[in-house]
Amino acid sequence: MSVEPMKLFFKEIKEPIETAMIGNYAVAGGVTQTDPDVICAFPITPQTQSVEGLSDVVHQGRLKAAFVNVESELAAISYSTAACAAGARTFTATASQGYLLMSEALPMAVGWRVPLTMMISARAFNAPNLSIWNSWEYVLTDYGWNCMVSENVQETYDAAILSVMISDNSLFPTMFVHDGFIISHSVQKLWLIPDEVVRRLTPKKHRHTITTKHPGVWGGIVTPSFFMEGRKNLDEAKKPVLNIMKKAFEEFGKATGRHYNLIETYNLDNSSRMAFITMGSMCGNIISWMTKNKDIGLIKIRAYRPFPYEELQKIVQEHNIEKLIILEKSDSLNNLLPPFSTSIATALYPLKTLFRCFIVGLGGRDVTRDEFAVAKKKMESVNDMKGQLYTYLGVRETKNKIYEVNR
Amino acid sequence: MLTPEHIKEILNEYTINLRFHARGGQGGVTASNLCVEAFYGYGVCQPKFGAERMGSPTESYVRLSANADLVRSNEQVYGPHFVSVLDESLLSEVDVTAGVPKGGWLIVNTVMDQLTIQEAVKRKDINIATIDATRIALDVLGRNITNTIILGALIRISHLFTLEELSNAIMKRFKGAIAGKNIEAIKQAIEETCIFDIGVDPDFTVDTKVPWQQLDLGLPGYKELDKAGVWYCDEEVIPVGSDQVNTGSWGEWDMIWDAETCTNCAQCWFICPDFAILREKGEDGKYHMIGIDIFHCKSCLNCLNICPVQAISKKLKQGPAACAVPEESGGI
Repeated sequence: MSVEPMKLFFKEIKEPIETAMIGNYAVAGGVTQTDPDVICAFPITPQTQSVEGLSDVVHQGRLKAAFVNVESELAAISYSTAACAAGARTFTATASQGYLLMSEALPMAVGWRVPLTMMISARAFNAPNLSIWNSWEYVLTDYGWNCMVSENVQETYDAAILSVMISDNSLFPTMFVHDGFIISHSVQKLWLIPDEVVRRLTPKKHRHTITTKHPGVWGGIVTPSFFMEGRKNLDEAKKPVLNIMKKAFEEFGKATGRHYNLIETYNLDNSSRMAFITMGSMCGNIISWMTKNKDIGLIKIRAYRPFPYEELQKIVQEHNIEKLIILEKSDSLNNLLPPFSTSIATALYPLKTLFRCFIVGLGGRDVTRDEFAVAKKKMESVNDMKGQLYTYLGVRETKNKIYEVNR
Repeated sequence: MLTPEHIKEILNEYTINLRFHARGGQGGVTASNLCVEAFYGYGVCQPKFGAERMGSPTESYVRLSANADLVRSNEQVYGPHFVSVLDESLLSEVDVTAGVPKGGWLIVNTVMDQLTIQEAVKRKDINIATIDATRIALDVLGRNITNTIILGALIRISHLFTLEELSNAIMKRFKGAIAGKNIEAIKQAIEETCIFDIGVDPDFTVDTKVPWQQLDLGLPGYKELDKAGVWYCDEEVIPVGSDQVNTGSWGEWDMIWDAETCTNCAQCWFICPDFAILREKGEDGKYHMIGIDIFHCKSCLNCLNICPVQAISKKLKQGPAACAVPEESGGI
């Protein structure tokens, strides 16, 4: 039994094809074209079809990969990290609770410098209730993985290929994320890249691997005499990564005509000197809304980790942005600001930009023109950095009252 | 009535929005996917579903335009110009016309006439198209899957894509014989759609979203939750147990059990996924089948198929399609 959208990937794609499919199958297709050696993932909503699609291509024969079924996400990440360390181009995928179950091995993929790639269909952690719908769970943890966020189906397909380029060139594992259900299950049109172009962008290169020819100990115990040096070594190795990402975007742009960047901007030279700053599918909502609301701009973060601090500072300064409206799909409970906002706040610290964080869209709640209009209005009367810096926007206070919104 | 030229003009500068209402398992999401796949311009399709059991109401949304920036939005659709309802029992359970502008279109798979539907949805300012898609589905496809058939009605009134464009999308998505049958069913639907035109076209240039519709106002707010994450059974929040939910409100067959033929083998009782076979203990200490719980029966036909003595039979619930459109205007 085959999944129809994957049919396109059963034979060589010789020229760009325009088609339509859901984000999950688009990722499966993109990953197929990068010719992974090992695929090892455990199904979880809303990621399942990406792995299902890959099993299809392996079964049909076009993709000669080892498709490994495991009993849990912990097994999946352990297997994937080991396979990748042994030299295999490896892909895995998860979300939410599965991502949490992987926790024990996620830092190891970073520490051992393995170029693993992982797709996340962003889904909320099960607190306070189980939710299979969208939230930015991935920002709540940070083990050192590279992280790229996509707005739509075209971008998540492209990200499947870009992540391999970034992982291979940086020797750090890369996760590429799209909003669960909103993109993973949404049918949108996209252009597929010819196989030969993908092969050219993602050549299989020689790198450090576990091999009997060069025996060693991976991740063995070290005393306080060595651990810190190991960490500093990682810090140094991370420094070139943003440039590596930039170069990957440039090469990709030349090959496909789609030019991405660490941060992308829209209409920043506007009369209000304000801009939204956010990631993922909300960017599309804002861009459509901005066709009728031209006195505000958008800063779209694509590279979330490493966080492009310098680029953001440059953009804010060059365009004289006075106020930033941060839209974030996660909350902190413990901190002055949730994680995405914290990264932005760190970048803005030396500058005089005012900002507020609006927590929106938790658990798959739609983020619409209502939220954008209210956030913009509230920001207009912000003149300092005093008081609570975040607000939940779009939540019922009582049956008929919306928190902090007068109707 | 809308013309292809007018629609094309609108699509250059605005979006045309669709909403599909169905029940889990009826293919509402596929119907909306096919709209994007068939459409010549830019489109996005969002489903609103997740963990529904078969039969629970689902929605999916489509936004179409020739302007790429306008369909970049991943929002759900709040001001649909065309609403398609795959199961008429949804009309009493879901507000299918929420956000539909004056002159918008409601397409329903039903045998009800349009005046009855106007009463049911309490709107007199929208156009209504009806199609007995269930009958066509049972005739041509052998199953009550009406998602592609309702697209035939959509083509007839909206001109968003042609039969050829839709057929191409169907042939890419479905295999061989099934694709052919679906296309045949769609052709029948195009012919048989009964159109109740009130003489007003929707104004595609106006945003008709009800503000904050996405917030489900009326449900308890955060101040009214006892403890987040904990749900107690009480009148405010969860008033009844699941056995009080009318899961038999849909399903196209009436199930009829013949007491005299029944041998009390209880295979139907075992196989029914909803515990809708009723039984009681007789004086002999053994269980006897006593009937079918129509409050919960969704007419999946498992019991009919497994009964070794054909003691269970089915009868189509719906009668012939009715139409409120005068014959000279194209009514039946």
